[in-house]
Amino acid sequence: MSGRNEARTEPRIAVYVCQCGGNIGDYVDTNQVVHAVKDLPGVVVARHAMFTCSDSNQQEMIDDVAREHLDGFVVACCSPKLHTFTFRGVAERAGVNPYRVAQVNIREQCSWTHTDDPTGATSKAMKLVTAGVERARLMKPLHPIEVPTTPRVAVVGGGVAGMRAAIALADVGLEVHLIEKEPELGGHVGKLGAMYPHGTVGTELVHRMLEEIDRRPGIEVHTGAVVSAKSGTFGNYRIAIESVGLRTEVTVGQIVVATGFDSYEPATGEFGYGSPRVVTLPEFRRLLDEAEGPIVRDGRPVRSIAYIYCVGSRCGDRTYCSRYCCSAAVHASLLAAERDPSVRQYHLYRDLRTYGRNEVMFGESRKRGSYYLRFADDDPPLVSIDGERIRLTVHDLLTAGAELALEPDLVVLVTGMVPRANDELIGALKLPVGRDGFLNEIHPKLRPVETVVDGVLIAGACQAPKSSAESVTSGLAAAAQAAAVLRRGVASLDPQVAIVDSGACDGCGECIGSCPFGAIEMTGTGGTVVATIAAAGCKGCGACTPTCPRNAIDLQGYTDAQVRATIAGLLAGRAT
Amino acid sequence: MDYDALVVGRGIGGMESALKLGDMGYRVLVVEKEASVGGRMVLLSKVFPTLDCASCIATPKMAATAHHPNVTVLTDSEVEAVSSDGGGRFLVRVHTRPRFVDLAACTGCRQCEQACTVAVPDEWNGEMVSRRAAYIAYPQAIPQKALIERRGTSPCTDACPAGIRAHGYVSLVRSGLYEEAFQLLLEATPLAATLGAACYAPCETVCTRGELEGPVAIRRLKRFVAERHYATADGPGVTPGEPNGRRVAIVGSGPAGLTAAWQLARAGYGVRVFEAGPEPGGFLRQAIPAYRLPAELLDQDVANVTALGVEITTNSPIADVAALKVEGYDAVLLATGTPESRPLGIPGEDLEGVQAGVAFLRDVRAGHPPDLAGKRVVVVGGGNVAMDSARTAIRLGASETRVAYRRGREEMPAHRAELNDALTEGADLELLVAPVQVIGDADRRVAALRCRRIELGEPDDTGRRRPVPVPGSEFDIECDVVIAAVGLTTAVETFAGALLGAPPAGPVDERTLQSVIPWLFAAGDLVTGPSDIARAVGQGRQAAQAIDRWLCGERRGLATVPDPLGVVDRAEVLARQKSHSRRESGLRPVNVTPRPRDFDQLEPPIGEEDARAAAGRCLDCGVCSECGQCLPACPANAIDLSMRGNDRSLEVGAVVLATGYRIFPADLKPQYGHGRFANVITGLQMERLLAPTRPYTSVLRPSDGKIPMRIAYVMCTGSRDESVGNPLCSKFCCMYSLKQNQLIMGVLRFAEVTVHYIDIRAVGKGYEEFFEQSKGMGVNFVKGRVAEIRETPEANLILRYEDVDHGTLAEAEYDLVVLAVGVQPNQDLGQLLAAQGVAFDDRAYVDEVDEDYRPTATSVPGIFVAGALSGPRDIPESILHAGAAAIQVAAHLESLKAPA
Repeated sequence: MSGRNEARTEPRIAVYVCQCGGNIGDYVDTNQVVHAVKDLPGVVVARHAMFTCSDSNQQEMIDDVAREHLDGFVVACCSPKLHTFTFRGVAERAGVNPYRVAQVNIREQCSWTHTDDPTGATSKAMKLVTAGVERARLMKPLHPIEVPTTPRVAVVGGGVAGMRAAIALADVGLEVHLIEKEPELGGHVGKLGAMYPHGTVGTELVHRMLEEIDRRPGIEVHTGAVVSAKSGTFGNYRIAIESVGLRTEVTVGQIVVATGFDSYEPATGEFGYGSPRVVTLPEFRRLLDEAEGPIVRDGRPVRSIAYIYCVGSRCGDRTYCSRYCCSAAVHASLLAAERDPSVRQYHLYRDLRTYGRNEVMFGESRKRGSYYLRFADDDPPLVSIDGERIRLTVHDLLTAGAELALEPDLVVLVTGMVPRANDELIGALKLPVGRDGFLNEIHPKLRPVETVVDGVLIAGACQAPKSSAESVTSGLAAAAQAAAVLRRGVASLDPQVAIVDSGACDGCGECIGSCPFGAIEMTGTGGTVVATIAAAGCKGCGACTPTCPRNAIDLQGYTDAQVRATIAGLLAGRAT
Repeated sequence: MDYDALVVGRGIGGMESALKLGDMGYRVLVVEKEASVGGRMVLLSKVFPTLDCASCIATPKMAATAHHPNVTVLTDSEVEAVSSDGGGRFLVRVHTRPRFVDLAACTGCRQCEQACTVAVPDEWNGEMVSRRAAYIAYPQAIPQKALIERRGTSPCTDACPAGIRAHGYVSLVRSGLYEEAFQLLLEATPLAATLGAACYAPCETVCTRGELEGPVAIRRLKRFVAERHYATADGPGVTPGEPNGRRVAIVGSGPAGLTAAWQLARAGYGVRVFEAGPEPGGFLRQAIPAYRLPAELLDQDVANVTALGVEITTNSPIADVAALKVEGYDAVLLATGTPESRPLGIPGEDLEGVQAGVAFLRDVRAGHPPDLAGKRVVVVGGGNVAMDSARTAIRLGASETRVAYRRGREEMPAHRAELNDALTEGADLELLVAPVQVIGDADRRVAALRCRRIELGEPDDTGRRRPVPVPGSEFDIECDVVIAAVGLTTAVETFAGALLGAPPAGPVDERTLQSVIPWLFAAGDLVTGPSDIARAVGQGRQAAQAIDRWLCGERRGLATVPDPLGVVDRAEVLARQKSHSRRESGLRPVNVTPRPRDFDQLEPPIGEEDARAAAGRCLDCGVCSECGQCLPACPANAIDLSMRGNDRSLEVGAVVLATGYRIFPADLKPQYGHGRFANVITGLQMERLLAPTRPYTSVLRPSDGKIPMRIAYVMCTGSRDESVGNPLCSKFCCMYSLKQNQLIMGVLRFAEVTVHYIDIRAVGKGYEEFFEQSKGMGVNFVKGRVAEIRETPEANLILRYEDVDHGTLAEAEYDLVVLAVGVQPNQDLGQLLAAQGVAFDDRAYVDEVDEDYRPTATSVPGIFVAGALSGPRDIPESILHAGAAAIQVAAHLESLKAPA
């Protein structure tokens, strides 16, 4: 970012066209793309690479900067969602302003979309890259907005994931507000007895966490409380905590949402539900956890149990698998066998998903006398209730589809997890909800605990069905992400924000209403009032720029001039 | 503390823990065994359920890890010791293996790879294609720098007393680089053809291929290389170094003397060789029969030496060594060998018809053979000279040739091949006899050899059993000629008088071969006693180096043998020959017949085609052959074969173990035929076939490169299977198989894909929907285990399987079968960790002792685990797990800071 570079009129630009292995190279002729742009004004380097994001290519880019005195890059590869930060990092290491990198997406927009038309894909790529070059020519150096952050985290949800995250955050010196809607911490696990696979008792685990929380003065617990509003900017959010009519506002640097799940509640009549002798898995667990000795239900001894799996999961609108229920049901049957070794148990399942180590419980349950019967996806068992008697018929695929009839004393509906009804919080935090109703991360591998809402992280079963230990693990992972952000003490915010030319602004105020983030206000001294935009509050969405009748607002990084140049480039870049 | 945290392993888990800790401000050291950060993920095709390109997810993490200001990465390194300091910190020792490439200098240009003559299965491509010994791991590897894989010195190279890089010239011949092979030989000795014809080839004795169909014909390849050079080129093709003005006299022109002369002349010395006999070559010329070493071959080798300006003065026995010094030679090397036979030391040795072995052989080679036609010959002795004498006697027409030896056949010092050939040619053995007297007739001519029977007693110093005469067991062997070949001796007395009255050569320093008189050196059999050509060559090289160092103070210009790595273990070499194909030698054998009558060379030369085929049998034991081609190829001069590993001792505050899992070795399910049937591949191999950096242009089956149209998946290979000792579910095989199904259907639009499964375990976010998507694309799911796989003559595969849904046993034919292999615990660090008290569960995974509250914590405070080392985990789970480890490491580090 030398002054010399910034002073030059025609910037020196390098263009890199990625083959992404075969992802792009199999369809787009990257050589032709290079050829099409290599002689454009400002382009001093143009070449293709197998993986532009690979370390070796990054090194070449850095070498090019030194040799060719580059001012910026155009990288034609995948979506900027994937690699913006990668290439900005390269620029930074090379001494080029990171905001003078333009990424052009020729994978999602060319090769992947036009696999049937390589020529068309190539020609489209040429236009897009030409447009990218035109935009890059007008790029100005920008510098991240550095904002001090608040070393405090709000954890919303006091189940095991949230409690554990709170403890971990306190352990690395961050303050925590732990906010739970219910009157007590503990969530689902706080009501459970022994859990698979280690036999840890849920109530004891929660008790242990409560003690650990007590021991840490940095954790402030709010029970019977909800988060009702959020404002502020990255690293410094104001949230409102409401508890029995009391509203407190606190400033936090990050927010961890760990609001858990609801259990699927079958409709009356679904597999006989409603009969006292048809229970859900959580109800069955209470039956097991709250008494000792042979199992009794509705005043009668239970000598035989039938489990029907996938109730409420993998069917209808709930297309997802609830993950934990196969293992939980098998584990419950082991507990039942312990209570009464003579109890007969029948498992009616579709695919038995005791994944990983849980497979051992599956083997154990068969050794203890459980029978497994498999029904087809489209042929579930029938439950009929005739007064005292439950009659259950199933076509068992493991015995060549033979129809078997059972008369169990108790039917356990192996119910899964459903997204928690939580519209208020989802609205207050603008949480992203997936098609299955659970909260969505940005990317399951790249950014698994972050959401598209800056500073809001997710953990536990609010993201997807998880076991207790898995929820605790993801709670800790979210704590790690929050700590990674806040322990630096400073956040770097994107400088691609809107700015007002105060000389041109006539203070009409048209723009104020257009900002979804409330970042614009009118300020003035003496007689003149002009719009000012808080850089830390602006998200760079560009909603305000077209509203200004005087064209006094421009979005840095996407200025009107750049957008016009991009369009001109698209029109000019014709296939040869 | 050197680092706040040590992360062992650079897979996705290790990288995530390191990045999170680095972001939190801790200094992290990542130690990685392989040559790149990245782990397995970067080698995958795409990842489920998002179908993102695996490289696109992994490479930014790899680059971020490599460039993070708080993260230091050591590749090619292993943690060798971890010990707690008792206060929550750890002392660790990290060993870094040499890459043999200077990372700072290497530009990743891959010239070395192109020059490399060794190809081995590419482990980064599922061993479906090959890579070079000098290589860059894979296109996205970090660092993008070459390394040279050297597992050790190959046994052949290690066994060569002449220091010839046998593996090197074999791999050069295999690559058709014959002149380069010849030059590699010349680095050791000018006697390429001689050794190629007459060396006893200890290299072949230890050749690993010898444990299969027989050793590589290493020696004959050498002769091929030499003869090819001599047929096409004038002179050795070597330019000697600038004359350095120093002169060395060498007494004796046997293998030691000629080799020393060659080495010194190459380095710029003025060298003159004095030979007592009429022609140069010493023992090579005088004693080795022409059927083993024709004179023309030796002449060509000697011409190499004279081409460098070495003068060989024949008929010049040296009586006065000191006079040479006075003449102006800066150093004198005695290499006069052991030219004389030892006498029998029994009565009657002066009778006519008694001959010394060496004198007999010398007369024959000089063109003055004694008349043995119809005569009965007894050769006394059991060494190589005895065999040469017997075989020569047969050729001269002896009616009867007996070899009398005082011990048993096993104890005979002669080379086995020599003994066997002598027997084939018609020599008889008279074992366990000792000559007592030569009996003469009235004309004082030999009539019989009186011998005594011998019994073998206790072993003597040489380990051989001591011969003990049996009293009263004398008997006579009637004969006309007795040849004494009971040992060789030096002839130093011929000039000893000139030197202080004592045998000047002995003792010399074993290493420098320098005598008590500084300018006087000695080498060869004169020093070692009777040995063989290769040892004498080695001595000649050693003497040349010593003389050079003594005269010039440093190694200048002399080709030096790189410090040897340890010899590679042959068992390990055999163990890695997973798909070893049988390869017979294919060379015409040596033509040994009974009762030969001429001295024609017995061994036919081999042609180019045979030579390349023979060299192709090499198993590349040490991987790198030390052929040296990469050295001049590297434009950055970055290759350094003398590079050695180093150890670092470090103090760290916490340890994260992230060494991941092992893939189940599919050959442990022999009924599925992996390794035997070319078209049975593993899921990981299919990943490579589908990856953007795939080895072929499409999904092709290995046997014939055809596009497979019927593809079967065998789920739970090595998982949920007590018969292989793994009852656990491996968790991700269902999902990667579903992903591959979809990718295959994208690449091969008309392929039919069938999945033989037990339960489809699609248990993560979006996984069930992904399963439905596969079903929707037309993947055929059959519930039931596969019992066995058979191969048809077309290399198709017949699966015998249970179809549970229809209650039948059935068979079906496929073009390609993919085994959905699962995971096994990685026990690389097992012992090291167990010694520190890290607990393992009953399946040998690291035990997370408090998983419900402190997942990732091991039984040792401060040691954490991230990823699949503690149990099967897919990528998203490993990443979350690694994050959980990172925050707890941070808590541990903060507790170290807090006042106690």
